[in-house]
Amino acid sequence: MSSIILKNISKRWGSTQALSDINFQCEDGTLLVLLGPSGCGKSTTLRLIAGLETPTSGTIEIGGKDVSNLPPVKRNISMVFQNYALFPHLSVAENIVFGLKARNIPKQEQKKRLKDAAALLGLSTLLERKPAQLSGGQRQRVALGRSIVAQVSVCLMDEPLSNLDAKLRQEMRQEIRSLQQRLKMTMVYVTHDQVEAMTIADKIILMNSGRIEQHGTPEELYNQPATDFTGSFIGNPPMNILIPDETILKAFSSMLSGPDSSPPYRIGIRPENLTISGESGITVQVVATEYLGADTLIACRFGRQDITVALKGKSAARAGDSIRISWKPEHMYLFHTDTGKRLLETKKDPFP
Amino acid sequence: MKTWISGTGQAVETVGAWMLGVLWLLPVIFAFWSAFHPAEFSTSFELFAPLTLDNFARAWSYAPFPRYLMNTFVLVTLILGAQFILCTLAAYGFARFDFFGSNVVFALVLLQLMIMPEVLLVENYRTISSLGLLDTIPAMGLPYMASAFGIFLLRQSFKTIPKELVEAAQVEGVSAVGILWKVYVPLARSTYIAYGLVSVSYHWNNFLWPLVVTSSVNSRPLTVGLAIFGAPESGVDWSIITAATVMTMSPLLVAFILFQRQFVQSFMHSGIK
Repeated sequence: MSSIILKNISKRWGSTQALSDINFQCEDGTLLVLLGPSGCGKSTTLRLIAGLETPTSGTIEIGGKDVSNLPPVKRNISMVFQNYALFPHLSVAENIVFGLKARNIPKQEQKKRLKDAAALLGLSTLLERKPAQLSGGQRQRVALGRSIVAQVSVCLMDEPLSNLDAKLRQEMRQEIRSLQQRLKMTMVYVTHDQVEAMTIADKIILMNSGRIEQHGTPEELYNQPATDFTGSFIGNPPMNILIPDETILKAFSSMLSGPDSSPPYRIGIRPENLTISGESGITVQVVATEYLGADTLIACRFGRQDITVALKGKSAARAGDSIRISWKPEHMYLFHTDTGKRLLETKKDPFP
Repeated sequence: MKTWISGTGQAVETVGAWMLGVLWLLPVIFAFWSAFHPAEFSTSFELFAPLTLDNFARAWSYAPFPRYLMNTFVLVTLILGAQFILCTLAAYGFARFDFFGSNVVFALVLLQLMIMPEVLLVENYRTISSLGLLDTIPAMGLPYMASAFGIFLLRQSFKTIPKELVEAAQVEGVSAVGILWKVYVPLARSTYIAYGLVSVSYHWNNFLWPLVVTSSVNSRPLTVGLAIFGAPESGVDWSIITAATVMTMSPLLVAFILFQRQFVQSFMHSGIK
C-alpha cells in the first residue's frame, strides 16, 4: 500500500498564501496529474509530498504513515526533476546508482538494478557517457532510471517532459505511462500541459491560485467541468466562454432564459461543438482561419466577444466573411458569473 | 570608415600588447641570459658568448637553496590546503544556508577584501608573536588561510549550482556534508583550479610578510632567501643572483606554462559566472 493522502494542507511564505486547504488522495498504483497554469501551486504541492518543503499546516500520509515531518529520504519516494538534475561530473551509470550508493546498498545489488533499469530504458550502451554527451530524451531516461532503481513505489515527477520537443514528449509520455503501469508505481505528475495530463492520467487535479479547482478523471474534467476555469483550461482549443447578451438570448431562447437582458451566468461552449448553420444561431465575423489538417480553427468575433469554431476538414470560410453559428443544448454549459461554478440545470430557467 | 577605425584600433591594441609583453619579458630574458653565461657577459651582449651552468652550481652552494625551496613548497601547500578547507566550508555556509545575519557576515568578509595585508603587518606580527610562532612556517601562512577572496569566489561558484541537483541528492538521503562533498565540490572544480593557481603563485612570490616574520634558514622561503643572498652587502654578482632567481622562479614558470590555459580560461570563466 502506498497511497498518498493530503489533509488540509496549506502553505504560506510570509504574506503569500501559496496553497490553501488542499485535500486529496492518490490511490495506490495510480497516476495522478497535478495540472494548472504556472504559479498555481502544483509544484509546491509536489515538493510538499517529497518533503523538500514543509507545510504550514495539515498532514501528509504516504502508505498510511504520517510523513509530514520526515525528511525526503524517510518518505520512500523517488523524484524526477524538470531539468533532470543529472550530475554533470558523473557517468550515466554513476548517476543512476547515485542514490543506491548514498543508501549503502550492496555493490552486487547495485549492479543488478542498474542492469535491469538500463535494459528497461534502452540505456545499456550509454552507461559510460557523461550527461553532456546525451540527447534530451536520453537524459530524461537516465533521470527515470535513477528513480526506477530506487525501487520505491511512489514516484514524483515535476514537469519531466517540458524540455523536450513535441514528438519526443509524446513518445516519452507513453513510455512513462507504460513504465508506471508495468511497475505498478504510485505516481504524482506535475504538468502545465493539459494534453499531457489528459493522455497520461488516471485522475487529474486541476489547480488554480493555490486551490483545487476540480479533481476527477480526464473524462470528467472534459465533460463535466465544475467551473468555467476547468472548462477553459481543459480542451484544445479551449472552451468559449460567452456573456449572454440580447442577441444570444433571443437566438437561443428555446434553451436559455433568465432574468432580463443580463442573466447572472456565462455560456460555455466547446469549439468542436459549434456548427455553421443556415438559419438559426448568431451571426459572427470571421477574423482568421487556421488549417490544421484534420480540423480548421476559425477565430470569430461577435460584438466584443471572441469565439473559436473548430470544424472537421477544410473550411471555406475566409477572414472577413460573416457566418452563422449554432449549438445544441446538450453541448452548452452555464457557469455562474460570480463564482464560476457550473449550473447543473442548463435547460430553461436555471434560476427557479 | 568604420572598418578603418576598427582596423586601426586593433593595430594599436596589438602594438600595445606587444610592448607591454616585451617590457614584462625583458627582466626575465636578462635573468636567463645572465644566469647561463660567465660573469663578464652579464652586462654585455655577445651572441656567441660561452654557455655555462657554473653560476647555478655556485648559487646552489653559496646559500641553502634546497632548504628554501622546501620551505616555500611546504608553505604554499599548507596555505592552499588550509584555504581549500576553510573557504569551502565558509562558502558552503554562505551559499546554501540562510542564517541570522548571514548577509552582514558576508559583507564583513567582503570588507576584508579591501584591506591590504601590509596594513596589518604590525598587528599580525604581534598576534603571531603572542602565539609563540615567530620564525616558523605556519607563522607565514596563518594570516592568509581564511582568504576572503577564496570564500567569495567559491560562494559565487556554489551559487550557480542548480538547486535541483542539491534536491536530487537530498531526496536520495545524502547528508549536508555529503552534498558538499559529492555535489558542490566536484561541480566547482574549475574554480578550485583557478583559485589554487592564483594562491600558489601569490604565496610563492610573497615577500614582505615572510621577510618580517622569519629570521632563520629553517623557515625562510625562497623569496626572502634570495633577497638576502642578493643584498648589496654580500657583494653584487649578477650572474649568481640571476642564476638563483631563475632557480627560484622556474618551478612556478613551468607550472604556469603547463596550466596556462586553465590559468587564464577558468579564471575568466569563474569570474563571469
